[in-house]
Amino acid sequence: MSTLMLSVHLLLVLVMPILLVGLVNRTKSRWAGRQGPGLLQSGWDLLRLLRKQPVYSTVATPLFRAGAWVVLAASLLAASIAPLLGAAAPLQFSHDFIVFAYTLGLGRLALMLSALDVGSSFEGMGAAREASFTAFIEPALFLLIGTAGLATGQTSFAGMIGQWHQAASFPWLALPAVAVLLVLLQAEASRVPVDDPMTHLELTMVHEVMILDHSGPELAAMQFAAALKMTIYAGLIAALLNPFDLQASPLAAIAVALLIMAGVAIVVGCIESLTARLRLRFVPGYLMGASLVAALCLGAAAWLAGAA
Amino acid sequence: MSSLIAAVLVLLLGAAACLMPVGNRRRAGIGVLSQVIATVLVLTTVTPVLLGGAPITGELAWAHPVGTLRVRLDALGAFFLAWSLPMTLLGSVYAVGYLRPYFDTPRHLGLHYALLNLTSLSFVLVYSGDHALVFLLGWEIAALAAWLLVIWDYSNQKVRFAGFNYLVSTHIGLIFLVAAFMILYTHTASWDLDGFGQWLRGHAGAERNLVFLLLVTSFGLKSAFFPFHSWLPRAHAAAPAHVSALMSGVIHKAGLYALVRFIFLIGRPDEWMGWFLIGFSALSAVIGALYTVGQRDLKRLLGYSSTENVGIAGIGLGIGCLGLAWGNATLVALGFAGGLLHVLNHAFFKCQLFYAAGAVYQATHTVDMEKLGGLSRLMPWTALGFLLGGVAISALPPLNGFTSEFVIYAGLFTGQPIGTWAKVALGIAGALLAFVGAVSALSITRAFGVVFLGGARETSVHPPAEVSRWMLAPMAVHALGVVVLGVMPALGFMLVRGPTAIALTALPAGGADVLQPLADNLSRIGMVSGALALAIGALIGLRLRWARRPAGMHVVTGPTWGCGYGAPNPRMQYTGSSFSSDFGARFSSVMVTLKRQKAPQGYFPTDSYVVTDCVDAVERRLFSVIKHGDASATELSAQLREDDPRIAFGAALIAIVLVAGLVVLASGPLP
Repeated sequence: MSTLMLSVHLLLVLVMPILLVGLVNRTKSRWAGRQGPGLLQSGWDLLRLLRKQPVYSTVATPLFRAGAWVVLAASLLAASIAPLLGAAAPLQFSHDFIVFAYTLGLGRLALMLSALDVGSSFEGMGAAREASFTAFIEPALFLLIGTAGLATGQTSFAGMIGQWHQAASFPWLALPAVAVLLVLLQAEASRVPVDDPMTHLELTMVHEVMILDHSGPELAAMQFAAALKMTIYAGLIAALLNPFDLQASPLAAIAVALLIMAGVAIVVGCIESLTARLRLRFVPGYLMGASLVAALCLGAAAWLAGAA
Repeated sequence: MSSLIAAVLVLLLGAAACLMPVGNRRRAGIGVLSQVIATVLVLTTVTPVLLGGAPITGELAWAHPVGTLRVRLDALGAFFLAWSLPMTLLGSVYAVGYLRPYFDTPRHLGLHYALLNLTSLSFVLVYSGDHALVFLLGWEIAALAAWLLVIWDYSNQKVRFAGFNYLVSTHIGLIFLVAAFMILYTHTASWDLDGFGQWLRGHAGAERNLVFLLLVTSFGLKSAFFPFHSWLPRAHAAAPAHVSALMSGVIHKAGLYALVRFIFLIGRPDEWMGWFLIGFSALSAVIGALYTVGQRDLKRLLGYSSTENVGIAGIGLGIGCLGLAWGNATLVALGFAGGLLHVLNHAFFKCQLFYAAGAVYQATHTVDMEKLGGLSRLMPWTALGFLLGGVAISALPPLNGFTSEFVIYAGLFTGQPIGTWAKVALGIAGALLAFVGAVSALSITRAFGVVFLGGARETSVHPPAEVSRWMLAPMAVHALGVVVLGVMPALGFMLVRGPTAIALTALPAGGADVLQPLADNLSRIGMVSGALALAIGALIGLRLRWARRPAGMHVVTGPTWGCGYGAPNPRMQYTGSSFSSDFGARFSSVMVTLKRQKAPQGYFPTDSYVVTDCVDAVERRLFSVIKHGDASATELSAQLREDDPRIAFGAALIAIVLVAGLVVLASGPLP
């Protein structure tokens, strides 16, 4: 990856989370008939939080204070492995997708432990939900990667996702693959219908309830990490669909990637405006459905490869 | 060779000296000292072999029915010996702290230390013996010593039951092993494992398949694969913590050693054996992980996670078998290196977790997590140890569990030109492994969160304090291993390089070129893990600087947000059972949850309670099959009358047909 691309990627990692959250919120406002906040509003919120004096729970241990930064570091590392612009990422090596998935896993563990650290049963409830939802959705990511690996013969994340569109099976599998990635986005970044970031009842929250006791810079880190996860999955969808080669036509590739990511944010906003979140007991079914679709994709890719 | 014999003699001598009337402190000292000497002797022997030297061979003349005893220590045995003895030594050190309350009682602790010595002895015999009888002897010493170590607290009926359960299971495994050896002996007329290997390599077919299945059953029982695990949770819950740690982390790895040994003897296994191993192991991993979710006994939970982790290692070995069957050197390297590396990593983090659980037990006198809470403030070092072990066991970077799972995943999602449908099958196994990873993260979050975080749940629990340094030191060594092997996985790979090279010799083309890329890939993983650790450190460092910037800024604390409820108490915290109930409800066939409750009744309810417990579905099923079998046999015999002439007639008819059939079979059809 060239220095220019590297800096573009890093810039995206820093700016896009703010912009995408802004876009989602703007979309939701428009559906509700409001003007809505500016696109950079969440960035200003983060700056405001960074300047605030945090309040810690009396029960909290040092783990609680460190947890938010572990979450942020893990999300940043994952973002530098994920291909956002096409078939390249700053960190790219054989089987890097395992590092991607498990680094996000470390972040999740830190998030859940920080939630449990304050000893609130509401936060425990959120952590339990996060843990079990992850177990249902994690196979989907690996099945999808297995499908991409089968179709492309590549072993790096960027190679698999970025070059899939050249494979013969892509026209058949593009739509289900995007759908699976979208469900992954909803689960990982806590969006409707898996979780509602705007809900105000602790009993039904997942992500928000886990960070109830976070404040100040720690809250900022957690919120940025969540937005970053949404960016990563939107970027994966962009890399999957991006028809331009990053080496041959870099400007077109970057422009298309940005457009698709913005499109994903608008779709997420539309889904949040038009549907309610699922009842909690139906969420595992929804997530397992995504895993099942991914498994079918894998079978279909093998069948198509055999037929060709 | 001579230093191995010296190590055996030192261990025996130490064991004998432990039994002398010298006082418990001296006995412990003698035990630990003899372990130290034996460890040094063994390490000096195995290090050259591990680093690429020639195998150590030797012969001992023995009396007639046994014949010559051959000793052969190759890189595989050296790999297992290289950590088994040091870890047993650490277990003996931990025992000093754990058994300290007994030091000034009349109870004879020498026996305990002698048994620990015998455990070390059994490793030397099993991992270096090339003679089937030496192998069986070592196997049996390990089993008996482990049984006697488990029933330390024998006055408790539950402990005795757990011990006998283990003893029976391990001997059922022995029967399968002896059966396999008998088949092999009838064909080779030799007790040498090498002789077995010559026959196994040349005779693919039904009989070899039978031997393979017998061996997998036996080794599966030893290593507690599902569904042969039912002895395990009881034994691990009943034994002293260091014994649980050694059993789970070290002693039962002998099953995996033997499995790899026989795969090497077979040379080029059939393809079905690889698929069978992967399927069998994936099942163990999934079910073991699911079992861990519901447990409320910390040590039982860790016991079940052994089933999960041997399954993960077994998936690696299965990939290696497939590679051998297909003649694909890369898969062989990934499979065996990944599987063996996971065995090593598991030994590191599992012992550490058991040591931490033992520290919790010693401080609070309970391992029931629903009674504990908030221990991290009172036992910070133990909490840190458990956290590191927990992150490692969930296979998360930057610790060592991740590196071995990475290699196994690399085998499952290989870019090698294997069949399309084979890739689909391996991909599904990969998805199952991802599920297992997520589930084990769930149960470790639950265990650590409930036991160490939050506030203390019950006032009746003994107020804890940090445990003695004798117990913390082994934990620290293991923690160091977990971290070092995590950021420098190349070190771990150095240890498994030799055994993996042995597997590659079965393939026609030399495979030195597939090991180097793997080593490079692992160093890269180490660098990424190191970068992650540095990034975390940098962010926290920045945060601390940021906090200090405005002068005089002090930390503001307040109560946890109670969502509007003003008078919460510690009993209202989220419990382990509530943490797992949502997830467990989806897998109720595996995670059978028993609930006993007494609801509050009347206008002035007195006492009420709810107790939930997750029991072993296999064991329940076993007992229910026995019950139903008993019932149906009783029913059948009630229907038959003994004096019914039809029974006598039928029995006579069967006997005549049987005799006639045997005669015809023996002499061929009559002319």
